[in-house]
Amino acid sequence: MKPKITAIGIAAALLSLCLSGRVSAAERAVLLKNGRIITGNGATIDGGDILVQGTKIAQVGKSLPAPAGAETIDLNGRWVMPGIIDSHSHIALEGDVNEMGDIITAEVDCKDVINPRDINIFYALTGGVTSIHTMHGSANPIGGRGIALKMRWGKSAAELIFEGAPLTSKWALGENPKNSNDIGMGPARYPKTRMGVEQSIRDQFEKAKDYMKKWADYEKKATAAKASKGKTAPPPPPKKDYRLEGVADILSGKLWVRCHAYQSEEMLSILRLCREYGVKLVCFEHGLEGYRITNELREYGVAVSTFADFWAYKWEAYNTLPQAAALCAKRGVLVALNSDDAERMRRLFNDAAKTVRFGGVSEDEAIRMLTINPAKILGVDARVGTIEAGKDADLAVFNRHPLDSFTVCEMTLVDGMVYFDRAKYLEERKKAAEEEKTKKEPEKKSGGEV
Amino acid sequence: MPHTRYRLFLLTVALLFFAGLPLRSEQDLHRVWAVKDARIVTLSGPPIEKGNLIIRDGLIEAVGANIPIPKDAEVIDGAKLAVYPGLMDALGQSLLKFPEEKLDMARIRAGDFTDKDRGITPGLAALDYVSLGKAVFEKYHKLGFVAGHVMPDRGVFTGRSAFFLFSDPDKNKALVLKDICLGIGFSPSSFLVYPNSLMGVHAYLKQALSDAIFFDQARSRWLKEPRGQARPDFNPNLEVLADFATARKPVIFLCRNQNDIRRSLGLTAEYKLNYYIADLGGEAFEVIPELKKAGARVLATVAFKAPGSSLYAQRGRAEREKAEKEVYPKNPARLAEAGIPFALSSLGSDDPKAFVEGIQKAIEAGLAREKAVEVLAKTPAAFFGLERALGTIEPGKIANVVLSEGDLLAKEAKVRFTFVDGRRFELKEAKPGEGEKPTVNVSGKWEMAVEGQMAMNLTIELSQEEAALSGKLITPFGAFDFTGGTVSGKDVAFEISISVGGQDLDLFFSASVEGERMRGSVVQGGAGTAEFTAKRIPG
Repeated sequence: MKPKITAIGIAAALLSLCLSGRVSAAERAVLLKNGRIITGNGATIDGGDILVQGTKIAQVGKSLPAPAGAETIDLNGRWVMPGIIDSHSHIALEGDVNEMGDIITAEVDCKDVINPRDINIFYALTGGVTSIHTMHGSANPIGGRGIALKMRWGKSAAELIFEGAPLTSKWALGENPKNSNDIGMGPARYPKTRMGVEQSIRDQFEKAKDYMKKWADYEKKATAAKASKGKTAPPPPPKKDYRLEGVADILSGKLWVRCHAYQSEEMLSILRLCREYGVKLVCFEHGLEGYRITNELREYGVAVSTFADFWAYKWEAYNTLPQAAALCAKRGVLVALNSDDAERMRRLFNDAAKTVRFGGVSEDEAIRMLTINPAKILGVDARVGTIEAGKDADLAVFNRHPLDSFTVCEMTLVDGMVYFDRAKYLEERKKAAEEEKTKKEPEKKSGGEV
Repeated sequence: MPHTRYRLFLLTVALLFFAGLPLRSEQDLHRVWAVKDARIVTLSGPPIEKGNLIIRDGLIEAVGANIPIPKDAEVIDGAKLAVYPGLMDALGQSLLKFPEEKLDMARIRAGDFTDKDRGITPGLAALDYVSLGKAVFEKYHKLGFVAGHVMPDRGVFTGRSAFFLFSDPDKNKALVLKDICLGIGFSPSSFLVYPNSLMGVHAYLKQALSDAIFFDQARSRWLKEPRGQARPDFNPNLEVLADFATARKPVIFLCRNQNDIRRSLGLTAEYKLNYYIADLGGEAFEVIPELKKAGARVLATVAFKAPGSSLYAQRGRAEREKAEKEVYPKNPARLAEAGIPFALSSLGSDDPKAFVEGIQKAIEAGLAREKAVEVLAKTPAAFFGLERALGTIEPGKIANVVLSEGDLLAKEAKVRFTFVDGRRFELKEAKPGEGEKPTVNVSGKWEMAVEGQMAMNLTIELSQEEAALSGKLITPFGAFDFTGGTVSGKDVAFEISISVGGQDLDLFFSASVEGERMRGSVVQGGAGTAEFTAKRIPG
């Protein structure tokens, strides 16, 4: 699945990593001139300009004057769309994405294992992706916390984090958490049925409620003790339990739940559980049968983050259609197209085009599935997802319409900074190859390896 | 006749008596030594260009330019020698010998996991498993090393360290301090048991540290006033952890790369730990501002292998090897330049010789030789609370010194004598050729069966030329060439770097050969050890 990486290609990627660090300054201005701007709000501005000030879009329109000292990028009629947001991925993480040692692992956190040197961050940029949601795998009914990142290639783990984005909790239903693909090492792991998967979540909710109560009682007693000015001894605190704190954060709505599910029955069932406990379930991951229950999804306000045409890789993923995403969208369900994969991440715009071709959605709707819709699912739609004044200057520049089968992403900006410039990258790569060649030649003459 | 018999009896008794006496060693005969007219690098002041050093009863009695030679001293002419404080390995594990354990697969299949399977062994003490001996000492002494800080390094809570002098095979005599530090690693369990992912390890560490602090507080509350309070349950792991989680004692974070270093700094800030960063990935240079801000102390490796998470490793073998030659060896020099307190660790180096070769690489890459000596003597002593006993040549300190021809750590240097704990060891000229001559020829194709959890069958092609071994490992993920293996007697050892799913793994094979069969083990850094057998494919 991993793309073949040439040493030279990555050498150039590393170079652009160094360069991206150099372009800084909070209040610099960039004017992108003469582009075909797909705003993501339904409008396309031909011959439009985007003025970036600092990290934000200051103005979008025609014939904008360049402020003094502004850097100008001539788009020369190329297409610009809002930076693509991949709402379901597992890149930029170090180590396994699943903690398989237990069935409920609400205490583990992707934030602790961000790998800012994952080359896939750079590859994401080459496909116009500017933000991602990277998450725990689907081995556990309640897995770990996920996190939204901006593709600030070259920056530290802390600097990649999409500041202010709500944290998420990854859940999983169906075959994966019931461990049907286990390889026979160790004993069978509870739960082994779909019923058991749901029950294992409910059990944790009850435990977490007890835990929250214990702490609330303690806080009350501690406050009373404090008020008594030494008459009552302060109570000993309860033991901290990071797992139950994670579950408690789900119950309090602090964590937004992202639930891996394929089948309509299990989605309906978990909707009932979430309604009972007041859980902020924001999105079904994959949700291939979501098109069958659009009323229920819309009613709960739960989105679907899915594939354009990827199914039948296991039995629970059979009952879907190439029109599934389109059907959900047409019936008012918020739909995002995601990658779940480092390689697919670079061509999500092709996937969006498929929903136009096979599902008959409008081009605007297809673009929204890559931009404002995932932004809404991630709770960052006030910051990104459209090209409009006041939003982060996260932009992807294409040589043709992004939904054209032959389109190529040529430039990607995050926070108004150019993090990927294909022309420059290719030039650097060529230079690196030449340098490598001249370095190798004298070695050959002297005979033998060094 | 009875008279003669009686005399014979007496003679026998006398013979038996003498035979029963232990052979008296040199150090028992001479407790007073003088090294005369040597260049002395004391590390407590500028070097003394021509001075005398007096050692008496295990301690340094005097050192200086005009120190009189005591009458009872055995004199060593130091005119051609340089005297240094004995070097110390700030963190190693090669002196630990754990009993071999065969993995009980029935137990694993039943899911009956132990704390050890999970990597949770805070009770494991270096003192219990250290294996010292004359042969080992000689290996270290001839490189100038006379002491070492030893700690188990596998798992999550890896175990507790101890500090030894390389002076006496009796570990109780060689020991300086025990249970100094607790190792914390970021290695997930290789079994289906918690924690078996890096993110799980991080979460587990937080919970365990929090539990240990809670346990410590609950226990002291109860000890202070048992009336009206529930007695906390005893837990042997928390009992050990309590001292370290509350910063009464230091922990050592075993960091495989720069991300581990950042994770460690995060944990220490959250739980206010007393800590050292063992920079096993050699990437501290990537985290210098953070290390500086935290006031961290570093134990740096000199193995210089690019971690799999690095961009260099992701760029393929050629780029990785280039970085291992050009980038990573600069790490110690960059720490020195940044003024970050650091010592050097043998972790990651295969043996003492490789350790010293690594140090020499660091010197070539810009670490001043004087600084290298300092971080191998003065700094480790200071790190582990032994600055008044070890680390410099000063009166009153333990007599740990090295006498070498030429500058210590220079490639041409020859260590002639060491004094460890005041005992003299004389180093003989090394015979040419390190190991034993090969007594087997392993050239040919072998069918290899790896046992344990990673059970698989592999084919290996070996090519032996005298003691040198090269070949190719054929795996389901591709074929991987290797060179640089050795054959010594009937033992073979070789290292193969393989690439699986974009990750580079280093596998160390060592085995003993009997005719057409081979039996041994393969070690893979984080994942542990597996046994294997191999059979030569005829023809």
